[in-house]
Amino acid sequence: MSEQPSRVPTERATDTTSSENETDGPRTSGVGGDPRELADVTPDPGGKTWFRDLDEAVIESDRCIQCGTCVAACPSDSIGIDETTGRPTLVRMCTGCSRCWDFCPRSGLRYERVLEFGEEPEVEASATDDSRAGTVGAQETTYAARARDTATNDAGQDGGAVTTLLAELLEAGEIDGAIVAGEREDEPLRGKAVLATSREELLATAGSVYSQTMQLGRIHDLLEASDIDKRDPQLALVGTPCVIEGAAALERYDWDGETDPIALTVALMCTRSFEHERLRSSIADCGVDPAAVEKLDVSDGVLYASDDDGETLLEEAIDTFDTAALRGCAECADFVGGAADISAGSVGSDESFTTMVVRTDRGERAWEIASSGLETAVLEETDALDKIADWNRRRARETLPREFDPEGSVGITYEDHRAAYDGTDRDLEPLNPARVHQYEEWC
Amino acid sequence: MGRPDLSVVSPCWLSENRETVTVVDVRDPRAYTDRGHVPGAVNVPAERFRDPSSVAAGKLPEPEAFAEELAAAGIDPDDTIVAYGDEGGPLAARLLLTAVTYGHRGDLFLLDGGIDAWRDSGSLSTEKPPLESATYDADRPPADDSPLVDREEVEAAVDSESVVVDTRTRAEHDQSHVPSAVQLDWEDLLDEDRRLKPRAELEDLLESRGITPDRRTVLYCNTARRLSHTYVVLNHLGYDDVAYYEGSLTDWLRADSPDWDPLELQAQVRAYADRGFDALVADLGEDVLGRLKLAGLYHQKQRGFFMLRTKVPGGELTAEQARVIGGVADEFARAPDDHGGESQNPIFGDGYLDLTTRQDVQMHWIRLEDIPEIWDRYEAVGLTTLQACGNSVRNVVSCPAAGIDANETIDVRPQVTDVTQRFLGDRVYGNLPRKLKVSITGCHENCARAQINDLGFTPAVKDGRDGFAVHVGGGLSDGPRMASDLELFVEPDQVSELVAATAEVFKNHGSYLDTAVNRLRYLVEEWGVERFREELERALSSEFEFESGSASDFEFEPAGESLTTDYRGDHVGVHEQDDGRFYVGLAVPVGRMAGSEFATFADHAETYGDGELRLTPNQNLLVPHVAESDLEAFRSESILERYSPDPGPFTRGVVTCTGSEFCSYGVIETKNRAIRWARQLDEWAADRGLDEDHDAIRLHMSGCSASCAQPQIADIGLRGEVYRDDSRTTEAVDVGLGGDLGAGEFVDWVAGKVPLETIPAAVERLVLAYDASRRPDESVTDWTDRIPDHELRGILSGATGPEEVATGRETETETELEVR
Repeated sequence: MSEQPSRVPTERATDTTSSENETDGPRTSGVGGDPRELADVTPDPGGKTWFRDLDEAVIESDRCIQCGTCVAACPSDSIGIDETTGRPTLVRMCTGCSRCWDFCPRSGLRYERVLEFGEEPEVEASATDDSRAGTVGAQETTYAARARDTATNDAGQDGGAVTTLLAELLEAGEIDGAIVAGEREDEPLRGKAVLATSREELLATAGSVYSQTMQLGRIHDLLEASDIDKRDPQLALVGTPCVIEGAAALERYDWDGETDPIALTVALMCTRSFEHERLRSSIADCGVDPAAVEKLDVSDGVLYASDDDGETLLEEAIDTFDTAALRGCAECADFVGGAADISAGSVGSDESFTTMVVRTDRGERAWEIASSGLETAVLEETDALDKIADWNRRRARETLPREFDPEGSVGITYEDHRAAYDGTDRDLEPLNPARVHQYEEWC
Repeated sequence: MGRPDLSVVSPCWLSENRETVTVVDVRDPRAYTDRGHVPGAVNVPAERFRDPSSVAAGKLPEPEAFAEELAAAGIDPDDTIVAYGDEGGPLAARLLLTAVTYGHRGDLFLLDGGIDAWRDSGSLSTEKPPLESATYDADRPPADDSPLVDREEVEAAVDSESVVVDTRTRAEHDQSHVPSAVQLDWEDLLDEDRRLKPRAELEDLLESRGITPDRRTVLYCNTARRLSHTYVVLNHLGYDDVAYYEGSLTDWLRADSPDWDPLELQAQVRAYADRGFDALVADLGEDVLGRLKLAGLYHQKQRGFFMLRTKVPGGELTAEQARVIGGVADEFARAPDDHGGESQNPIFGDGYLDLTTRQDVQMHWIRLEDIPEIWDRYEAVGLTTLQACGNSVRNVVSCPAAGIDANETIDVRPQVTDVTQRFLGDRVYGNLPRKLKVSITGCHENCARAQINDLGFTPAVKDGRDGFAVHVGGGLSDGPRMASDLELFVEPDQVSELVAATAEVFKNHGSYLDTAVNRLRYLVEEWGVERFREELERALSSEFEFESGSASDFEFEPAGESLTTDYRGDHVGVHEQDDGRFYVGLAVPVGRMAGSEFATFADHAETYGDGELRLTPNQNLLVPHVAESDLEAFRSESILERYSPDPGPFTRGVVTCTGSEFCSYGVIETKNRAIRWARQLDEWAADRGLDEDHDAIRLHMSGCSASCAQPQIADIGLRGEVYRDDSRTTEAVDVGLGGDLGAGEFVDWVAGKVPLETIPAAVERLVLAYDASRRPDESVTDWTDRIPDHELRGILSGATGPEEVATGRETETETELEVR
């Protein structure tokens, strides 16, 4: 897998995965009838991708996992968020820089390789970013943890350990805020990204939200709207493993300081997330008013919904909600969130404890600082965790139309994606002109 | 026309009649299959019959496409359809309205409450019914028979007994609406469960808004979704004279709103100058920044500062004007200290300006508070920034040697002035669906690049009369297209009218909504040349009728003989004029110079010429009217060492856009990099003696894919990209080779994402390989066409040496000298 950076990239592509003819020549055009493709248009060179390609391969084909990486990756802020669907959409001219494709964990970013970044040397030094320095060789330790403070313990999921960790870091001045998920007031069960800057705000959002919030794409806006000093903000980013994969890749390949505010990443272990609208309908189909649901919890393959008073409203096998799941989640093998500084989940610890995996220097430092607020014990026995992670990996290998290859190149070209996905049930869908043409700003 | 019955039915009715009707589910395929549907229902997803991509036809799909969808779902034009969706059913209603518009004969019903109401009482199925494909013929009915009306009919309705209904929300209506329109939120017709309210309640509601069955009703919304629902409900209630307007409010607003009036915007800038940028944005909204382009102001990447674009029609400037422009740049185009101040740019310092490929002048760091002063100085000498940017007729480009070229057929300066004046400050045409770029040339060398403009005039002769051939629909960017020859002849005094007619056609038929695909070329592509010409004739006829008071059909004359014989890349060097004096073309590498230097040229133009300067479409400068006896003295001016009439091939051929220094779209930095490259490559070429063989090597670098540096027409075209591999990421470019307007060819994009640091050496290898393997008189374009792309890539990467390049293959393309 040797790379020769000084050579042209079309050569690079042939070094790794593709046959020469596929990536060396002009690029295959997209699948939608794009009216911009006039009669005798000059084809793009291999390697070029536009938002339109991401739209067809990921968003229109219903594989988007709503991590927000593309929004954060776009250097011209051309990608925004459609607030109805909660998915990416073009809000001004696409400049064809390919970054949205290159960093999307469902298209150009080989996410399983990102999970190996901790073992790899740093990329060439960039001017602004030192945030992930010193990750090499860090050990991974798994703990069972819970808040010493009982109020936090009750409010959070499985012992309130994440809430406590973040609160301790805030109060120690290690971070200025934490990007977490809260629930939207106007739409039951729909998550929203919140930048919490105090223990109280963290407590208010404690508990899991099972729909995505595109938080990686909202960091800038959340910061703008906050009281945090904008000069050198230090934030913890909490999210599903895919969000952290995107963040880790963006941090590693710093472009324009877009991930500079991220000082710590916390992954919430995850087998799948839900599309908010479909989740609401599915819960309604079970005869439960979605608006009455205060808390959702998934444990041992069962989804529990409870109301304000903690009364269980629903107890139903998680499979019942398959149709509400994000389809893209089935391609993910990263249950634990291996790209994060710290991962947290319920599997493997006793009830009322959170299983926490601490890796990287950043993670260890955060863990030390927060330890006064946490009751922790090293978990020697991680069978349960390994078991579900294995199950998750098997599902991903079965679902992924492409090869699962942790040693493959970081990037997956458009041509390679097409070669693997065309003709499968995860094939591209023709572009939605409303998503790629109807923006107001052009140059 | 006997239209089918159109009404709303209950789930109860449907369960009783399910066997005799065709039930259509318009939700997305996933909801249809996974979440279940009404048993027996076929799926025609709304996205398949709504067509926001079509440029000319608005939101309706093409009849053929609609027919195909319905036929595939096994639907016959005589079937009774019951359509349903979710969210109260506007998309299901949309299907029914489309069917009505295209002449469906069977009855059409909307399922009240949609899938949710059905679920309450009936069962769902996840099985797809067997599909028998049917034949479906859809046709656009004649206009007077169609419920679909155009803008003129809405305008007529505004002034008549008809009632125009805005089916959007109260808030949207309050913000703006078609004059006289009453507001009726489509959701007001539904109860809490999204079921239709009782008839009596609906009738009271409609009456309260003045919507009664005896009045013609015209509906509009924004994307023709909500009005569809209201359309069905009104029919259900027995209203039989209901029409709808598809263009939505967006195009109405754009055409008539003072928000988009260039003069109004100019006045706003003056009004806010004292209060500053933040107050302007706070009061008028962030989107005012987009509209200010019509006043020539483009908000730059650094918040609170503007790029100011000065229009120079045909590139012709008086020395006095040039002195003002230079002085303004020197005084106002200055970076604040926290952005580097006097050393903001390592090569150009501070207080500089950029010459552009449309013969404009741009400067950066302009503050709102300084703009009135700048405009005052401009007005005093007859300069303007009005409509230099935005969706308007842009600066008219022409041959920079117009009126002095010894071989030209027509001195086009009067036409350039006519067109410029015709549109300046014009509110109606100041607000087109997108920009409209016009070029006019009277020389034989296509200096104004007709093929890459929306509308291009090149000289022609007919029956001994001089006039023009007209080309339409050219452009670069992400849908590059060579303009089509309209195959007609116009006299010089018809030019301005023809541009106005084109703007009229564009305004009436171009989309205001699909901004990425609404340049004029998409309309030309959709219609073809013949239809476009007919539409122009129609527009000119009605204008004639308006002016003369009598109807008359305007017809174009068939084409004359084209006089374009060649393509000229630039005007660098000393050239003899028709009057025996000389014009001196000076290379301004990457188009950038200090404002003070520009003012110095104004002085020189007075000293050595007639006090006149010209700007070229190559970002260069031209000093005309220099007597032979003054040439020597002019050439020895020190400033000509930097801006030379005899530059190295790379300095002469380099063109760049603004790049990431100021442009929020720019992926890479362009100007500093390109001027360093050009100097370094010129030294290399001189060392090797290559500068003898190469006058100009045209390297155009755009910071992104928007083509502001016109990479498609260069020998070597570059556009910004980002490279990433396993170990690093860096600025990169797509490399295109062999563009030549003279041959009617754009570059072929040969290699993608090439890291920038490898480019200078790759360019050297290309030049060497070309020299080593080209045939006698073989142009760069022919050479790049002949050499296989993989070899060109090999040369770029260094894998193929110059001596290894194939020499044996026959050339596949003929060189065309004629403008296509």
